[in-house]
Amino acid sequence: MDEIKEVSLEMREYIISSGAETLNWCMQCGLCTNLCPYRQVPGELSEVFNIRKMQRQGQLGLEGFDDESVLFACVTCGMCQSNCPRSVEIIKNVRSMRNTIVGAGILPGHLRPVAGSLHANGNPWTGPSEKRADWLEGLNVPAFSEDTEYLLYVCCTSCYDTRSQKIAKSVVKLLQKAGVSFGVLTGEEKCCGETIRKIGDEELFAKLAESNIKLFNGKGVKKIITTSPHCLYTFKQDYPELGGEYEVMHYAELLSSLLKDGKLSLPGELAKKVTFHDPCYLGRHNLVYDAPRELLEAVPGVEFVELDRAKNKSLCCSGGGGRIWAEVPFGERFGELRINDAVKQNADVIVTACPYCITMLDDACAGLEKGDVLKVMEMSEFLCESLEK
Amino acid sequence: MAHKSILVVGGGVSGLTAAVEASEAGSEVYLVEQKSYLGGRVAQMNQYFPKLCPPNCGLEINFKRIKQNPRIKFFTLAEIEKINGVEGDYTVTVKLNPRYVNQNCTACGKCSEVCPAERSNEFNYGMDKTKAAYKAHEFAFPMKYVIDGEACLGAECGKCVAACQYGAIELDMAAKSFDLNVGSIVWSTGWEPYDATKVDYYGFGKHQNVITNVMMERLAASNGPTAGKIVRPSDGKEVKTIAFVQCAGSRDENHLPYCSGVCCMASLKQATYVKAMYPDSKVYMFYIDVRAMGKHEEFYTKVQDDITMIKGKVGEISEDPETKDVIVQVENQLTGEIMKETVDMVVLATGMVPATSNVPDAIAYDEDGFVVSDPQQLGIYGAGCVKKPLDVSSSVKDSTSAALKAIQSTVRR
Repeated sequence: MDEIKEVSLEMREYIISSGAETLNWCMQCGLCTNLCPYRQVPGELSEVFNIRKMQRQGQLGLEGFDDESVLFACVTCGMCQSNCPRSVEIIKNVRSMRNTIVGAGILPGHLRPVAGSLHANGNPWTGPSEKRADWLEGLNVPAFSEDTEYLLYVCCTSCYDTRSQKIAKSVVKLLQKAGVSFGVLTGEEKCCGETIRKIGDEELFAKLAESNIKLFNGKGVKKIITTSPHCLYTFKQDYPELGGEYEVMHYAELLSSLLKDGKLSLPGELAKKVTFHDPCYLGRHNLVYDAPRELLEAVPGVEFVELDRAKNKSLCCSGGGGRIWAEVPFGERFGELRINDAVKQNADVIVTACPYCITMLDDACAGLEKGDVLKVMEMSEFLCESLEK
Repeated sequence: MAHKSILVVGGGVSGLTAAVEASEAGSEVYLVEQKSYLGGRVAQMNQYFPKLCPPNCGLEINFKRIKQNPRIKFFTLAEIEKINGVEGDYTVTVKLNPRYVNQNCTACGKCSEVCPAERSNEFNYGMDKTKAAYKAHEFAFPMKYVIDGEACLGAECGKCVAACQYGAIELDMAAKSFDLNVGSIVWSTGWEPYDATKVDYYGFGKHQNVITNVMMERLAASNGPTAGKIVRPSDGKEVKTIAFVQCAGSRDENHLPYCSGVCCMASLKQATYVKAMYPDSKVYMFYIDVRAMGKHEEFYTKVQDDITMIKGKVGEISEDPETKDVIVQVENQLTGEIMKETVDMVVLATGMVPATSNVPDAIAYDEDGFVVSDPQQLGIYGAGCVKKPLDVSSSVKDSTSAALKAIQSTVRR
């Protein structure tokens, strides 16, 4: 047993006032801890990270929840939350507990440059804001105006990271092919703020969100297509209460409806065995499961196979909740389990639909040296291959 | 005009009780049962808690009371289509489904012997099969065979017709409907076990050695699919380690938000089955809280000494693909230890779902499906598990009081 620590009801009230309204609903059954993806991997962090215990420490206002390695370990995958018997908003509680530390100006070392860049550049990747739109070169995409129906909002990762830019470009090609009326912002937008809010920096999140809302509203944005499920989440869940109400969809949702309406066709045959890794923020957090499967199965020649853990039971890549910036020893990364599962299913390609998942799965595939048997692709890239064939 | 008779819907222990009690107080009673036999879920139990006696004697006593009582008329394979009217004057349309076997049946079993078709045996929760011409179970009342119309190959086969020397088989029997006029209605359609496949992280339906508590009753019963031997479904191996996983659906806002009330006692009871058969076995019970209310405390205290009780809701249940052993992932809430226990078999304590998925408009129920008494509508009374989760003896008491309310409805002025 752990040593007895001092109970602080004031701390509890402070956590609850920071947004953890459902903290006291928890009955300490422990289902969360046992469904947590950390149970699937070995290692030191797996041994110390216990989400049930974290709720308890919060309930009692105990010091200890603020141990940096534990407090910032949650990947916010939502596996616990979507199954919690008491519907406790576990991720919100984690966010609030993080906020009690981050709000006081204390951020773990590896996250400081992230927050710094968000303050200075409006993106977490230390990319100069004037280079945000560089990925657009040669694509012939109009700037969003009253004449375009949709705003295509591109995740910071896909604006700056050269690997990830390919996602943005592929999404553009697919939308153009389907005749969608859309425009983009040309660098004046900021990060959606999803991840920094999960990290616990409410103030910085509000700053980013308010700036975007002012920009979107000023330009008359009504409908938004996102490339990342994380942006999708925050536009849908977090922006309305700050005055940003839009019809928001992930590109997979729009493309699947265009496919059904006959406005998008994927003619080129790709004779491949394909599996799909459900991003947590597209699946569990936004309940989009069918659209990507419909799109992949519409490609001629595709043989679709499910991973062992799929749809609402999908195993996180570990890129959420700020963990994309965490250093995790090889052998303890969730992404490796996804790669191994895909290899076990004899898949040629593991497709996903999130820039964070791509980063994590690419790393895992390279680390496991499985690149010769398995290819990691973002869904838009895969669909474009069919278009261009 | 005021009718004096009472309709009881559902012939399980609750309906039987209401029917017998009301008729013994002088009322005319119609008892309508959907299945081919009376006795309901109780007939599928191995033993009652806490006395650990079989249910057959209690059921037999009730059947005897029915047989001796000219004021009860019962219909099996019957369902309610429509309820019209008010207290004192209901017209109820009853649909009688075909048994394909008439009153001449002596239960000799010749039809079954020659029958070439098979069906999944729902009495044993699909763990074995019967012929399409079958006897529901050893103590079926009425003791008559029945033919499963969906599994039967029809008149072209006709082997049973030739084999039956009593002329009891009528393959052209059709469903028919008729009306009953009654003064009041007792609705006692009972419960169904929660569909355990919905708690997908427990792997029921995927891992062979994950079963449910109602299946365990059949495994332990001498008239069950294994003749009472508790063995693993995958390979028939004796069960040396077993885990009872509580609240498999109950107390869960994603499934059944209420406590099913009987599952803790049922698992403790089933632990005694395992211990009696395999004294050296290791029995785990994983729970959120043990709810052994009232006088059941004594049973709980006694059984817990023989088994390993661990406070903690089980997370994922996985399977060793080679051995088919099952691995239970759980955190011991008293020590904080995260455990991964490998066991031969898991029993999921699935909860009770009220059987109200398809009821006439006149039956009022709450958001969980439990029948509620509508103060605006005297004359219709819920009884037993369709009203709230209850054990057998509480169902009997509840149904006795429902019988009194039903009688009052027939004499109110």
